[in-house]
Amino acid sequence: MKTSPHQTLVKAGDRDGLKELLRRRLVECGWRDEVKLICKEIIKENGQDITYDALLAMVTSRARSRVPDVVKKELLQKIKNQLLAQEEKLKLT
Amino acid sequence: MSDHGCIHLNNFKAAKGIQPYKVIHSFFVTSTSNEARVRKAVSCLCHTCKSYKDRLHSCLHCIFFGCYVKGHIQEHAKTKKHFLAVDLCYGNILCFQCGDYVYDRELLVVAKAQWSETAKSLSLGEFYRTWEPSLYEVELLKKNPRRRRVVENSTIGLRGLINLGSTCFMNCIVQALIHTPLLRDYFLADRHHCPQPNRCLVCEVSSLFQEFYSGNKAPLILHKLLHLIWTHARHLAGYEQQDAHEFFIATLDVLHRHCEQYSQVAPLIVKDNPHHCNCIIDQIFTGGLQSDVVCQACNGVSTTIDPFWDISLDLGPTAGSGGPSSGLSKEGGGAPTSLLDCLERFTRAEHLGSSAKIKCNNCQTYQESTKQLTMKQLPIVASFHLKRFEHSSIQDKKISTFISFPEQLDMTPFMSHRRNGNNNSAAPNGLHKNGEDAAFSDNRYSLFAVINHEGSLETGHYTAFIRQQRDQWFKCDDHLITRARLKDVLTSEGYLLFYHKQILEYGRNSKV
Repeated sequence: MKTSPHQTLVKAGDRDGLKELLRRRLVECGWRDEVKLICKEIIKENGQDITYDALLAMVTSRARSRVPDVVKKELLQKIKNQLLAQEEKLKLT
Repeated sequence: MSDHGCIHLNNFKAAKGIQPYKVIHSFFVTSTSNEARVRKAVSCLCHTCKSYKDRLHSCLHCIFFGCYVKGHIQEHAKTKKHFLAVDLCYGNILCFQCGDYVYDRELLVVAKAQWSETAKSLSLGEFYRTWEPSLYEVELLKKNPRRRRVVENSTIGLRGLINLGSTCFMNCIVQALIHTPLLRDYFLADRHHCPQPNRCLVCEVSSLFQEFYSGNKAPLILHKLLHLIWTHARHLAGYEQQDAHEFFIATLDVLHRHCEQYSQVAPLIVKDNPHHCNCIIDQIFTGGLQSDVVCQACNGVSTTIDPFWDISLDLGPTAGSGGPSSGLSKEGGGAPTSLLDCLERFTRAEHLGSSAKIKCNNCQTYQESTKQLTMKQLPIVASFHLKRFEHSSIQDKKISTFISFPEQLDMTPFMSHRRNGNNNSAAPNGLHKNGEDAAFSDNRYSLFAVINHEGSLETGHYTAFIRQQRDQWFKCDDHLITRARLKDVLTSEGYLLFYHKQILEYGRNSKV
């Protein structure tokens, strides 16, 4: 069976590592705090009983657009690297 | 929202316990073993549409994966009446009867333990978590309700230092160290714990940080620090004018030795360092310098890597300047005019000359060779020492030529893998091994402190420019602190230049 890039990254544990890196980068650049504030606002406006889905629908596009380009670029580069490295390993074995 | 789950989840836990959640979590949310990761890679697909994304959930009651976005997990819940599911991205529990995610304290504890285990199994250190105050910290916060807010024009962190009689060399180094961002974070986070607080220099530095950030504006008197330095680095004792660079290195050395003595494992190791020491000084200031000696007869390369805390740069004309690196370079040239010139020269292959033949490890004969220094491992703080004081048998003099230095500095051109690629032929597989991660790493630095020496060799005065709050500059002249412009900093003479890495990499064995 052909493995997808996603599967390759999960198998090697790279995906967990990359996810962790992304998490920290988003904290560092203040994205997490920003999104937290947006969520708080929405909850204040709509009342405490707002569901996760409703919150998600209102936050997602705003949150996405706030991810800095450098963070996206870095992640893209690192994902590429990891996939290339995994490919190299396969060739060797 | 409470963290006691919901009635449905509690009923489920009463019947089946927490084991089902634990198993799903350890295999499919955060895989805690290689086996689990393989399973996750192969089987975490929506059973209906085969998607691996779109908010995949696992049924908590039976073996079923379904995505949320296209409604496949909802469909499953409805038809089978399995109303609890686990989100496979974050491990949260979705209760279809309540119509939302529910939080359960007991299961959160399970999830946390699994994260730690995953991080360990990947040797990633510890995963990031938001800060949750401990009981002790909650107490402290309650007892001290006044919060200090740092606003844009705040001068917090700035304090003058009284000159105790030619101690400006110490004052300016202290200013530079206090304004080293990572060192500040370390000390203000109370990371130094010490069994011997009275004689410990690190404790003294730690309390200095407290003093600087206390909000008090009166200048400080560093008599205790001076005394401790005198006791620990005897060659600096006395009221004479000392060299700031020498003092800087001696201070790092004393701090490093202290930390080493009472070392404890640092929770976040920033990167490999050639010292194999975890102390905060080595984590921040130590880099690795690669020296390649190439035999001119057989082209055999002998490589050594040495740790360094700073880089001393020659300023004189290339040929016949003093110091140990007086060998002739391939291209003769005038004196450098910029920091980049100096670094280019520092990392250039130099011919060791016919009088300095070295035994080659490869061909076992004494041959002429070239030597090249390059950066194998960059420190987080790069300290450059412009050798403005020239000591030779004929005369001692100060070189006051203007050397320009940038606010932003990219060290990439001086890295081992880059330099060796252009110059002498390094082993191709060695190149590849470095290139893999080094080629894409970010090696940009920004200036945060400059130390200047005003005056002549015999009588002079040290001052420091320091950066505070990202982009504000201040001139520290003993007890006087004045606002400065970036232009003033960049046009100053420059004796010691301190650069801080802009992007930090995480984790010692991190795969990322």
